[in-house]
Amino acid sequence: MKRTLKLGLFLMLALALFACSKGEANEGNNDGQGDKVTIEYWHVNAETQGGKAVNELVDEFNAQQDEIVVVPKYNPDMYKGLMQNLQAEAAAGKAPAVVQVGWSFLEYFSNNFEYSSPEEVIEEYFPEDDTYLTDHFLENVLSLAKNEEGTQVGIPYSLSTPVLYINKDLLKEAGLDESGPETWEEVKEFSKQILDETGKYGFYFQEPDDNWATQALLESNGASMITDGKASFASKEGIEAYELWADMVTKDKSAVHVSWDEGVQSFIDGNVAMLYTTIARRSQIQDNVNFDAASIKSPVWEGKDVRLPAGGSMLAITAKDEETQKAAWEFMKFLYSVESMATWTIDTGYVPPRKDVATSEDGLKSFLEENEMMNAAIEQMEGVVPWASFPGDAGLEAEQKLLDIRDQILGGDVGVKEGLEQTEEEINQILN
Amino acid sequence: MKVKSFVREVNWKAYILLIPTIIIFILFMFWPFAYTIFLSFYDWNMVSPTKEFVGIDNYIAVLSDPITFKVFKNTGVYILILLVINLCIPYVFAYVIDIVLKRWKSFYKATLFLPSVISLVVSSILFTWMLNPVSGPLALILQQFNIPMPNWSKLDGWAIAILSMITSWKVFGYNFILLYASINGVSREIIEAARLDGMPLWRIFFSIVIPMSSATGIYIFIITIVFGLQYVFTPIKVITQGEPNYGSSNIMYHIYHEAFVLYRTGHSAALATVMMCFFILLLIFEFRFVERSVYYEN
Amino acid sequence: MCTMKTKKGMPVFWHVIIISTIIILLFPILFALGMSFKPLKEAYNDTLNFLPIPFTLENYHALFESVDVVKITWNTFVIATIITFFKVVTAFLAAYAFVFLEFKGKKILYFLLIGTMFIPFAATMIPNYLFISKIGLGDNIFGVIFPQLSDAVGIFLIRQSMRSIPISLIEAARLDQIKQRHIMRDIVLPLTRPAITSTGIWFFILAWNEYVWPVLILKSVENYTLPLALQMFISSEGGTNFTVAMAVSVITLIIPLSLYLIFQRYIIGTFASSGIK
Repeated sequence: MKRTLKLGLFLMLALALFACSKGEANEGNNDGQGDKVTIEYWHVNAETQGGKAVNELVDEFNAQQDEIVVVPKYNPDMYKGLMQNLQAEAAAGKAPAVVQVGWSFLEYFSNNFEYSSPEEVIEEYFPEDDTYLTDHFLENVLSLAKNEEGTQVGIPYSLSTPVLYINKDLLKEAGLDESGPETWEEVKEFSKQILDETGKYGFYFQEPDDNWATQALLESNGASMITDGKASFASKEGIEAYELWADMVTKDKSAVHVSWDEGVQSFIDGNVAMLYTTIARRSQIQDNVNFDAASIKSPVWEGKDVRLPAGGSMLAITAKDEETQKAAWEFMKFLYSVESMATWTIDTGYVPPRKDVATSEDGLKSFLEENEMMNAAIEQMEGVVPWASFPGDAGLEAEQKLLDIRDQILGGDVGVKEGLEQTEEEINQILN
Repeated sequence: MKVKSFVREVNWKAYILLIPTIIIFILFMFWPFAYTIFLSFYDWNMVSPTKEFVGIDNYIAVLSDPITFKVFKNTGVYILILLVINLCIPYVFAYVIDIVLKRWKSFYKATLFLPSVISLVVSSILFTWMLNPVSGPLALILQQFNIPMPNWSKLDGWAIAILSMITSWKVFGYNFILLYASINGVSREIIEAARLDGMPLWRIFFSIVIPMSSATGIYIFIITIVFGLQYVFTPIKVITQGEPNYGSSNIMYHIYHEAFVLYRTGHSAALATVMMCFFILLLIFEFRFVERSVYYEN
Repeated sequence: MCTMKTKKGMPVFWHVIIISTIIILLFPILFALGMSFKPLKEAYNDTLNFLPIPFTLENYHALFESVDVVKITWNTFVIATIITFFKVVTAFLAAYAFVFLEFKGKKILYFLLIGTMFIPFAATMIPNYLFISKIGLGDNIFGVIFPQLSDAVGIFLIRQSMRSIPISLIEAARLDQIKQRHIMRDIVLPLTRPAITSTGIWFFILAWNEYVWPVLILKSVENYTLPLALQMFISSEGGTNFTVAMAVSVITLIIPLSLYLIFQRYIIGTFASSGIK
């Protein structure tokens, strides 16, 4: 027993020594870097979605100059996870230099965190770049990163839109047009026919923990999620649009009601014929399907214009002092170069926010020619609108209420009209 | 008397032995929790520079919210299911393998524990895939028999049942091993004597084995309740995020949800405090009534 | 007569029940193992067949390419070992004090400690984070370790096990003028070894798989632990790379599994020979 104890103690000592020496070695490294500025870049990109590109780009940036060292930090659980970590960091009085903020957190971020508008940073330290933003970004794209008060909170970094992925083989089997449905009314008919003819589910509408795709469905029918800071989705058009989806799930039973990952898995293995989800899933789908798959533009409502919320993220500067703010902008400028944007787009499947990337030879020209699935997303960029983000402190709670009612409606516990109207009322109460 | 004097003499030694534990708990448990109780009287979102004192408003809001009760009820259901799967069944298994069976004991012991080494994140990902109601392996097999699989992640009741199973998959083996070790320590002579007297096996189990292993039994009982609170969190977070409409959420997840999804720190803190009070009552009950009937060698 | 009958029919029945349980319990592990050697595309399209045909190492390649697996495994091992060791030692000392010594505030202190098992980690997370960053342990393995040490489960289990030791044994030792630390080391420690080993294994597994807290604390990839490496292949928006995730799981499994197989006999074996009975 004594021996075991001694051995244990010895082991502990060794480990403690190891840990200490490691700590020192790390500090030593920092000293060796001399007067370099070290900044942190917080991103959400898993290895399956751009993580490789982030590391590649950061390494390239660190190698090409010797004033700035960028340390990338991956935050699991997407923008929500990043926001959680940022919350903890802010409570400790610290902040990274550059953060990737998801569109649905635009209001929350700008209301609660300290940040510097890119315009401010440029004006103060980089007068030579004063036309950078307007030169390289489309007006409507830039305005995606403006909050309610009209401040430019960040710069759009990745854009996604929802598209309809179709399994052409199943469509053919069901005797349907292989080019897929163009309107939501057709989606419903297609879905029913697929169920009747093949016995497989016709459709899955993504159900993550946000209302992004729901917004696309409702607003394309002329509804509006938010009007003058108030929830307004339970309009006639909104209810009509939601009913189509709910009917497919609860009445026709041709659409499946499962979680997001399950739904995508079932599309990929050929058990669901059509999938409405983000273009960011492109590589997962393209790489793994065994059938003839295509992506087509988001369906429209008969005779109406499509309005698609932009998904993805912007980059915001949270650096606090001059030195790190400067470094942050240098790094961002590198990330927004045509070449970097191309690397980024190829690895993620997002639509580039910069004007000239898609057509440039250094950029994506050849990539887009080879990856037809991207085209649907790029073609529908004109219809892009900001992701509705409920204003004020209760914004996230409002978002949550809409998710709660989704489960009730699709579970058949409550009617669409009743459910949406009641939720709208509740949301407007808490927003006050 | 002898014991008493022995006791008085070594009083200070007890504190020495407890010092490391006390320091760690004060720094990383009691102080943070006291801070949480403090926050439960404020309206704050963790980042804004101002905290607004709101008195007991958070408690009123939390206690008048029907979701709180739904979540409490779910927690109860989780605990009940886990108690059946992770206390009753392993108890029987441990008894049967140790006393009733003669062969393959060590094989059973080793294999039943295996899933315990896997993390709940991994098992959540794994089971989401395997139990995909449309096209997972199980659904495909059921399809052969024309049995449709329910879309469990979106159905009240089913969601809790499946998430409990996933948690149990990990916990079962650990509980089993502990109970086995405990039953293994029950005197063989007593059991053999009872057998020779013609006492049926089920009676040996209930009137000899359970009472004599109840020190471990009570441990497993309490710890399974803790699992029902703390461990279920991971599958909820990875698989359902509390959906459908809080149908799979438990208190722990709800506290997390309030704090880190909605950023209502005050609500979350109030909920945590309410929950603590509830379980402290439960613990007092356990100390008062259950402990007495537990069999200890002394 | 009755016993004779039970003896013949029952074992077969129980063997069948137990073996089916084992199959249910082990199937997911085999499934994960098989999938980790399959191309992702095959995993999607031939999901019923969990045998790794066609066989591939590409998932492991992808993993080894994106992270330094050896370094990360070592980090995880160091963290889990330190946590396990400290938790077991402090729990043993505390349990000893609670069972064999009398002191003021014993009941209330025990009650408070056991009560902490019901405190949600979400309630202590932010204050702990503030404290850890204030003392400069952010992105440091000790920042990961410290808060995880405050866990009452070990005190509880080891105390339960110590209470089964006849107090007369301790008194006798005491009358023989045996010193406290010798009582602890030569009498109590051997008798509670099964409980200590099994809590130790459990603590190791928990610390080994912990992900919420390290995600918050650790920033640089060279400090990552295995559960964080797993998180790198999970993305709600881009989709989870299932087969690589399974490969990470298999690698994560190896060390706790071998430790269990080594220590398994101690947990159970020592009970019979412990001399309690």
